[in-house]
Amino acid sequence: MSEHIPFGYKCLNCGKLHYPKHGRCLQCKHREFEKVPVSSEGTLITFTQLKAPPSGIESRSLFLGVIDLGDVRYTGQIEVESIDSLHIGMKLVATWKQVRTIDNRSIYGFVWGPP
Amino acid sequence: MRDVAIIGAGIGSRWGKYSGSLIEMMAKASLSAIDDAGTDEIDAVFVANMGAGRINNQTALGSALIDYLNLFPAVGASIENGPASGATAARIGYMAIASGVHDVVMITGGEKMRVAPGPVVTDFVATMAHPEAEYIHGITFPSLGAFLARLYFEKYGVTSEDLARVAIKNHQNGLKNPHAHIQQKITMEGILTSREAKLNNPMIADPLHLYDMCPVSDGSASLILCSMDKVQEFERTPIIKFAGTGQGMDTMAVHEREDPTFLKAVKIASDQAFKMAGLTREDIDLAEIHDAFEILELAELESAGFYERGKSHLSIREGETELLGKFPVNTSGGLKARGHPVGATGVAQLCELVWQLRGEAGERQVPNDPKHGYAVNFGGFGNNVVSTILSRITG
Repeated sequence: MSEHIPFGYKCLNCGKLHYPKHGRCLQCKHREFEKVPVSSEGTLITFTQLKAPPSGIESRSLFLGVIDLGDVRYTGQIEVESIDSLHIGMKLVATWKQVRTIDNRSIYGFVWGPP
Repeated sequence: MRDVAIIGAGIGSRWGKYSGSLIEMMAKASLSAIDDAGTDEIDAVFVANMGAGRINNQTALGSALIDYLNLFPAVGASIENGPASGATAARIGYMAIASGVHDVVMITGGEKMRVAPGPVVTDFVATMAHPEAEYIHGITFPSLGAFLARLYFEKYGVTSEDLARVAIKNHQNGLKNPHAHIQQKITMEGILTSREAKLNNPMIADPLHLYDMCPVSDGSASLILCSMDKVQEFERTPIIKFAGTGQGMDTMAVHEREDPTFLKAVKIASDQAFKMAGLTREDIDLAEIHDAFEILELAELESAGFYERGKSHLSIREGETELLGKFPVNTSGGLKARGHPVGATGVAQLCELVWQLRGEAGERQVPNDPKHGYAVNFGGFGNNVVSTILSRITG
């Protein structure tokens, strides 16, 4: 499965989907999971414009949010021009991009934007 | 299980920026608590700290503090549980005495955070977030506070004015606390409604402004705990009983919580503490609430069971949680004004309760002879929470 599609970890006993990964299922404590693709489109639950980013983020401001994909949720950066473009309930889609550097290493992850 | 008393409390110097070493700063608080207790015959020392290994290049602080203060033959260890390290160390101290392993235990919390630039401190605190699901994306604790605030605004009609009211109250209390980092009167006009407010109080993580969150502080605080069956040896009255302790957990990634506005770990920790103390919410005379963000004071009061969900902002509008209100909250100034050196905060919350219950809180003393105090120390972004209840049993 491509790393560049949002995914979840499906418990092989009860079927519960998780993101992020756990060593034991949050519902039934089973230890085996299958990595499965989930929807690339989701609904924005909450968001912020962070004007004091941590070290390792080059931009002076960052849009961040929690996105509900139905079976799992993701937290991540959102690409928009202004906070006025964001509202709870709007649709967002995932793309795979560099999100920051840590100890001079480039780190990649899902970045969200309007469809 | 033996009952446990607190016989000493101390904050050595005003919080804010400390020019000496971390150990010197923790030693000041420790000596203040030792002097307050009237004994240095301590069996064990638990030091609460989150990040000295990373930002001060020092580890094994329990050993270092015992050595510096010549507390030998006391034994010691460091306790790290993020911003809940302080109350966690106190809880472990309680367990050590209740179990009969030790008779007298010193708890000292300390953090020296102002040695690093802002973005580095922000990043250091953010390492508590989930490494893959949150941290790598640039999630910081102010952004998690902003997520919660936006949900509260949307769901319960909380406003920026409500958050400012919490900050104004806590600053007002901080003005009466000689240990408080921020000793500054603020007004609604100055931070929210005037033309200058945008400069005075810039947006940090929308909808949270600078004054909706605590400062970065250096500071230390210390407590001396003692077995109740030995307490008469120390003549420290009135006796403050370590009446209740609870600890609760929740998922590390905030987005995995079914309802992110409900702080489940606060409820679990609080229910345990109340059950152990044999008290109800109505018995509590004052509370120290972990307001790293002012929205958290409102949310924690609800999740701890003091107010109905979505209703605590009405209490701040009506002045109920002010120093002279029906239910004073954060008489110390809270994290907002006293400051938030992360490892020290949970210990300082209990110091404040000790002083209030003894009637020794000076200008900020709550009236009407308070008997029971509650504290919540919020670790991670609510995935590891410790609640404590202290009661005055004599005097």
